[in-house]
Amino acid sequence: MSQPVIVAENLRKEFGRVVALRGVSFQVEAGAFFTIFGRNGAGKSTLLSIISGMASATDGNIRVFGEDPAERTHRHKLSVISHESFLYDNLTALENLSFYGKLYQVADLNDRMHDVLHQVGLHHRRFDLVRTFSRGMVQRLTIARAILHNPDLFLLDEPFTGLDQHATEMLIGLMEALKSQGKTILLTTHDLQIGLRLSSRFMILERQRVVETGSVEGLTEEMLRRKYFSLISSGEAGQ
Amino acid sequence: MTKPYKSQSFYVLAGLLLVLIPVSLYMIFQWVPPIKASNPTEATAQRIFYYHVASAWIGFFAFFIVFLGSVLYLWKKERRWENMAVASAEIGTLFMTIVLVTGPIWAKPTWGIWWTWDARLTSSLVLWLIYVAYLFLRRYLPDGTRRANLSAVVGIIGFIDVPLVWFSIRWWETQHPSAVVAGGDGSLAPEMLKTLLFCVGIFTILYLLLMQRRMQIARLEDSINRHYKEWETLS
Amino acid sequence: MSVIWAIIRKDFQMEFRTKESITAMWIFSLLIFVIFNFTFEISRLLLLQISGGLLWVAFIFSGMLGLNRSFQVEKENGNLRGLSLTPADPGLIYFGKFLSTTFFMLIFEALIFPLFIIFYDIQLSLVTLWIIPISILGTLGFTSLGTILSAVAIHTKQQQILLSLLLWPLITPIIIWAVKTTGDVLSGELSAAFQPVMVRMLVFDVIFTTISYLLFEYVVQE
Ligand SMILES: Nc1ncnc2c1ncn2[C@@H]1O[C@H](COP(=O)(O)OP(=O)(O)OP(=O)(O)O)[C@@H](O)[C@H]1O
Ligand SMILES: [Mg+2]
Repeated sequence: MSQPVIVAENLRKEFGRVVALRGVSFQVEAGAFFTIFGRNGAGKSTLLSIISGMASATDGNIRVFGEDPAERTHRHKLSVISHESFLYDNLTALENLSFYGKLYQVADLNDRMHDVLHQVGLHHRRFDLVRTFSRGMVQRLTIARAILHNPDLFLLDEPFTGLDQHATEMLIGLMEALKSQGKTILLTTHDLQIGLRLSSRFMILERQRVVETGSVEGLTEEMLRRKYFSLISSGEAGQ
Repeated sequence: MTKPYKSQSFYVLAGLLLVLIPVSLYMIFQWVPPIKASNPTEATAQRIFYYHVASAWIGFFAFFIVFLGSVLYLWKKERRWENMAVASAEIGTLFMTIVLVTGPIWAKPTWGIWWTWDARLTSSLVLWLIYVAYLFLRRYLPDGTRRANLSAVVGIIGFIDVPLVWFSIRWWETQHPSAVVAGGDGSLAPEMLKTLLFCVGIFTILYLLLMQRRMQIARLEDSINRHYKEWETLS
Repeated sequence: MSVIWAIIRKDFQMEFRTKESITAMWIFSLLIFVIFNFTFEISRLLLLQISGGLLWVAFIFSGMLGLNRSFQVEKENGNLRGLSLTPADPGLIYFGKFLSTTFFMLIFEALIFPLFIIFYDIQLSLVTLWIIPISILGTLGFTSLGTILSAVAIHTKQQQILLSLLLWPLITPIIIWAVKTTGDVLSGELSAAFQPVMVRMLVFDVIFTTISYLLFEYVVQE
């Protein structure tokens, strides 16, 4: 029996007059690959930042590894990739990793850094400043930073942004490897095809609510596409 | 939900002020004997002292409430403490503005200059600047928990700084004897003291009234936002 | 401890790669001295009386540049958010940034002070050495508040103007004390007030470092 890693009950988040989540409930089991689909403004990023413990919910309950994520007790088991890289432009790739490695107190940091740099295919550029990197290379290093401390739970907010075909394949391969190692992965994406290919379970957010959640078993891309477009209303963005 | 806009306490406080403000004016202009001054204008101008000092007191008190509201907000994370802190910051800044305006009105006939870097005026100016910055910070941020957190942090740091500012500027003044213009007092005549305390009392009532109004407005704003969200959910 | 050290090291790596802050601060101070020379034509006697103030104007205006720069890099790629997602205690993150900006300012102050002595023909004596503890205490006061308020201001679009608005009135006490003690030192004769004022500066530093350490958590939360 797998324990749920994330339990969310009736999460609500407001920014003044704007509502970013209107009562969202779901669970993610350990080892699951859970994908969240939804349009711009549906509330995906907000949900991830509550799970990461950065933001607090206005109402509702959230448990990650059985605890309130705001307590910071499980930060070392957690990794976030968002639209921001968290990297320093005036440090080299290696210095960036070494800095974050120290904050996460990674054991055998040196070997680990070279390992992950090889994995993302940036080892030959390790002494170059991030400032000199292309958009996709920055994203690769962001991935390296995210896997450096060998976390158990990944929160990936549209990680494919800016990656070329090759890098996308690399990232997919990496995610599959993580999945087979039993890591729990939470992914948000607009890309139904990739989402379907990777995930074991999925959820559709629409207008800041959960409108569908289920297993991908027996689901074809065509079926998912039809379901997705029947659930989300056409026209204006999610808010 | 259907709370009246003006509650009972509003009428009580407003009624009290309606009666007490004329009384205070009578005390200030008739009852208190004029001070010994070189010319009559100076003696008349000195009467602004009562409102001037009372405003300063209420200003300090209001900033203390900002501090209290900020601490309570960070502890309890409840919107009403945020509202209380903001309301008090706005009103405190208003009273400090009164201090800064009445100061020069008093100074000109007395010392022949509008502004003097005297410890009390200078401290008031610095405090005013601290809380104006606090209000600016709130302007620059959208509504939400982040704004509440950040302004609470500034509300706490700002108030802890108040005594240090006060103390350091007083000390600075004693280091620059040439800049000091004697502060007109020393000991107050009994009538003066009574009038001053009376004015402080009135200004406290005025503060409470303004607070009550300002927090009511904040509650109304929140309630409009709530209704808006409900309506938007339905449509 | 390793968190504080990692942050300081990182900031120094970046700074010594670009040398942007220190150079800009140094040149800026130089400009202040030059402009001052033309805007105030004053006697040598008067100059001695106000030189403490002049030195701190240079320190603090340039310090603002350094602070803005130090937090610009934490904003560029959401780095402050990245830092607070790590297991590191926000209080330690505060200390890391606080100490690194302090060290920068002290280095810069050490670089500008000789220039000041030459430009204004300050007489050196053993008493002049007191400038070292004064600079340290004054700078700590400035950066303790400057660090947390930079982290506050970073969340707005008007980061630099807001930092000035918030920081200047709050550091009034430390400026007053630092200027006074520096004036004493430059005149070559310590007044009776010197020692108690040094203690006050220390108290100021301790108060605001502690408060900021405790409150920093709320600054990085979303
Ligand atoms: N800091 C904020 N302040 C105000 N409103 C916000 C904030 N963050 C998010 N929102 C609002 O909350 C809603 C959900 O936003 P969120 O970023 O979670 O959407 P998303 O699903 O990630 O969208 P996208 O696909 O564009 O990334 C939007 O209406 C957005 O405007
Ligand atoms: Mg998003």
